Amino acid sequence: MLEIAQLSKTYESPGRSVEAIRSLTFDVAAGELVCVVGPSGCGKTTLLRAVAGLLPASGGEVRLDGVPVTGPPPRMAVVFQEYGRSLFPWMTVWQNVELPLKEKKVPAPRRRELVTQSLESVGLGDAARAHPWQLSGGMQQRVAIARAVAYEPQVMLMDEPFAAVDAQTRADLEDLILRLWRDLEVTTLFVTHDIDEAVYLGQRVIVLSSSPTVVMEDLKIDLPPERDQLGTRSLPRFGELRGHVYSRIQAARG
Amino acid sequence: MKAVRLLGLPVLLVLLWWAVSGGSFYLPSPDRVAVAFAETWFSDRLTGDVLPSVGRLLAGYALAALLGGWLGVPIGLSPRLRATLEPVLEFFRAIPPPVLVPLIMLLAGIDTPMKVLVIVSGCVWPVLLNTVEGVRALDEVLADTCRMYGIRGWPRVRGFVLRGASPQIMAGLRQALSIGIILMVISEMFASSSGLGFTIVLFQRQFQIAEMWSGILLLGLLGLGLSLLFRRLERWVLSWYYGSGAARA
Repeated sequence: MLEIAQLSKTYESPGRSVEAIRSLTFDVAAGELVCVVGPSGCGKTTLLRAVAGLLPASGGEVRLDGVPVTGPPPRMAVVFQEYGRSLFPWMTVWQNVELPLKEKKVPAPRRRELVTQSLESVGLGDAARAHPWQLSGGMQQRVAIARAVAYEPQVMLMDEPFAAVDAQTRADLEDLILRLWRDLEVTTLFVTHDIDEAVYLGQRVIVLSSSPTVVMEDLKIDLPPERDQLGTRSLPRFGELRGHVYSRIQAARG
Repeated sequence: MKAVRLLGLPVLLVLLWWAVSGGSFYLPSPDRVAVAFAETWFSDRLTGDVLPSVGRLLAGYALAALLGGWLGVPIGLSPRLRATLEPVLEFFRAIPPPVLVPLIMLLAGIDTPMKVLVIVSGCVWPVLLNTVEGVRALDEVLADTCRMYGIRGWPRVRGFVLRGASPQIMAGLRQALSIGIILMVISEMFASSSGLGFTIVLFQRQFQIAEMWSGILLLGLLGLGLSLLFRRLERWVLSWYYGSGAARA
């Protein structure tokens, strides 16, 4: 459903050009949760912005249902890393979640329903009238997730969404993503620098090289589909997979 | 306690004024100025001079705010437009607005349109340049968020651009308010038959010294009142900004 074909990106500035991504090819099937992991500075965010249609690629293309992506597709939602900067501070939690639906011309009763449901699904049913800055970092990221969920996207992109929250919150949010992904059957591309997180969440893990970036490995995660923070992470297979990914990334860093 | 802290210094200053004013013709005592104040301004001068002055001030200020915001948004959003216009804008901003009065008199006559134009010509720059700066510095992640969720056109300008730039726009409006009061007075000192500036000059020429002082006092009070009103507006418009701690960062 989501195809990334020979995608490349070179940043051109006068007298200097930086090849961020050399060539990336992989695809994400409908309803799949794929994690992209790579060493820091390998162009993960560049990849995600290109997939989202926020950044024109230098070569190759991204196709959604066979249609080349040239701008942000209408049924795609993104959760950014910087939760503190992706919510509108002058709006309440409710208004933040509702705004994209208004622009999508969703009728008011349905809008109310969607906002209520999505806020409840991330455990923020009571915080609707608060402003984002009155909430903790983890809760702010929940609001951003609720906004993405309420948008009823076909594809959900996540750009290191939990890089800036504490470990306990992070585990909770990972399980939240797994639950939402299962309930909504939404195709999800999850970018992270955290190997454990990638192996824990993904059905597949795409391992990227360092910049200029290529795909080093497209790894199927053959863990039981039901994931659990304690159980899954203590499986021998989990350890093997994370060790494997870790060694690939170490090799990538040279 | 609060009242003492608030009123202590003004009371002290009035007492000091009283002490030094003894018998001087050019520096009448506070009680004489107070009497002159009541006689002068609680009369038909209120409707004949004060209200027209304030009306022109508000009209010029509002026009400048609209014009500054309306021009500032596209300039702030477009790097090319900004690169082309910014040196010119800085030049115009550097011209002291009072020297435009003779020119504007030639173009717009000596009546209300001239005075409003003088106020606009001075107030528009801080609003415009601050709006440009605020719009230019909008958060990129929020801009991406708007693009992703299809927020564009007028909802984007109203819900993102203007709100995001509002701390800078309000700073510009605050500067413009004090400039507006100055220009209101100056425009009335040139060629006028009514208004606060005109009246103060008239009193001075007729050696009505206490009355002249009362006019200056009135201007000070007017400025203070407008500034307090503005602060309430600012607290209301920017409540999210003060709450989020961004103002302190």
